[in-house]
Amino acid sequence: MGKVRPKKHAPHTDMTAMTDVAFLLLTFFIMTATFKSNEAEITTPSSISQIKVPDDHIMVISIDKAGKVFFGVDAKPVRAAMLDNIGQAKGITFTDTEKAKFSLQTSFGFPLNQLKPWLNMSKEQMPQVKQPGIPVDSTGASELADWVYAARKADNQLRIALKGDNLSKFPVFKDVLANLQSQNINKFNLITGSEQAPAGYTNE
Amino acid sequence: MAAIEESGGGGHGKGDGKVRAKKMSTRVDMTPMVDLGFLLITFFMLATTMSKPTSMTLAVPDKTDDQDQEKTEPLKASKVLTLFMGANDDVYYLDGVAADDDKAEASLKTTRYGFDLRSVIFASAKRINAANPKDEKGNDPFVVVIKPTAVSTYKNMVDVLDEMAITKSKRYALVETLTDSEKKLLGDKIVPKN
Repeated sequence: MGKVRPKKHAPHTDMTAMTDVAFLLLTFFIMTATFKSNEAEITTPSSISQIKVPDDHIMVISIDKAGKVFFGVDAKPVRAAMLDNIGQAKGITFTDTEKAKFSLQTSFGFPLNQLKPWLNMSKEQMPQVKQPGIPVDSTGASELADWVYAARKADNQLRIALKGDNLSKFPVFKDVLANLQSQNINKFNLITGSEQAPAGYTNE
Repeated sequence: MAAIEESGGGGHGKGDGKVRAKKMSTRVDMTPMVDLGFLLITFFMLATTMSKPTSMTLAVPDKTDDQDQEKTEPLKASKVLTLFMGANDDVYYLDGVAADDDKAEASLKTTRYGFDLRSVIFASAKRINAANPKDEKGNDPFVVVIKPTAVSTYKNMVDVLDEMAITKSKRYALVETLTDSEKKLLGDKIVPKN
């Protein structure tokens, strides 16, 4: 017992500080998380606009780079009601399972006559089908107009946002515009990414 | 690392005599918790979209009822900068010249989006606002007419509208139709290639 041995000590770092920071970051990311949706991939152009896209009561008409048009509404009950409305208008009846499946889709791009077969597929198959896009033409009375009408009937507070891909051609946009204008919708939001305003720009 | 470490020989002082309760260190091994924490951070970092999209509002004139529209006099070409959005991010512009003018062909110039276009708009606005008086409502006489063509993309349109915001051009119009003289002027620049 006379010898004094240096006590063996496992190297021990104090991790409290690190843990604090880690959980602070974790909390931040959880709070700000809005998940990426796996809808059609669209890279929007950017603008210096500062207006945020509203979170609720919004319908999004997307145009992908091939010019295909997709349509989506944010709230699930509205989606089901919208399907009901369009079914009534076109004389198609949808079953409850079809409605339930439809209300899970954030956006879709099918002509009406192909919608039912798609909704009857299994959950695994549905995302794998290539969506042909909603028919749009310059007359302003195509299926897109019917969908917009059905959606607005389901929720009359819906705002309209257009989300176009960088590479989508202007004529498609023009056709979409014609469909909206034919229903007297003259004001809408264009969804863009944010961009730094050039030097010297002042926001009055 | 043990989950809870004992403090080594805390209560064995020299000749103290007294029997003390062994002090337990309150140090907890936090390694698994930190592991989990960082795992979650990584997950949330990868799963989030950080930049929330912004939106620009676009209001288009009403098409349906034109009977009660107030009659406006046609724009004078000398007050107008016309932008034609062409293919491959080219912009053709006519600065204060009408498309059916004899000089149109010679004055049709090409520029690019971004800084070049901005300079064109600023220069034109300055020139036209200096040459013409303000109208009775106090608006600047400068007007931009934006003409998208079949070969231009959606990005081009947003870029031009953005340019309007940047240059603070209050009076601009998005006109979808090209007149015959404009079609002739632009020729095969605006014909889709496939």
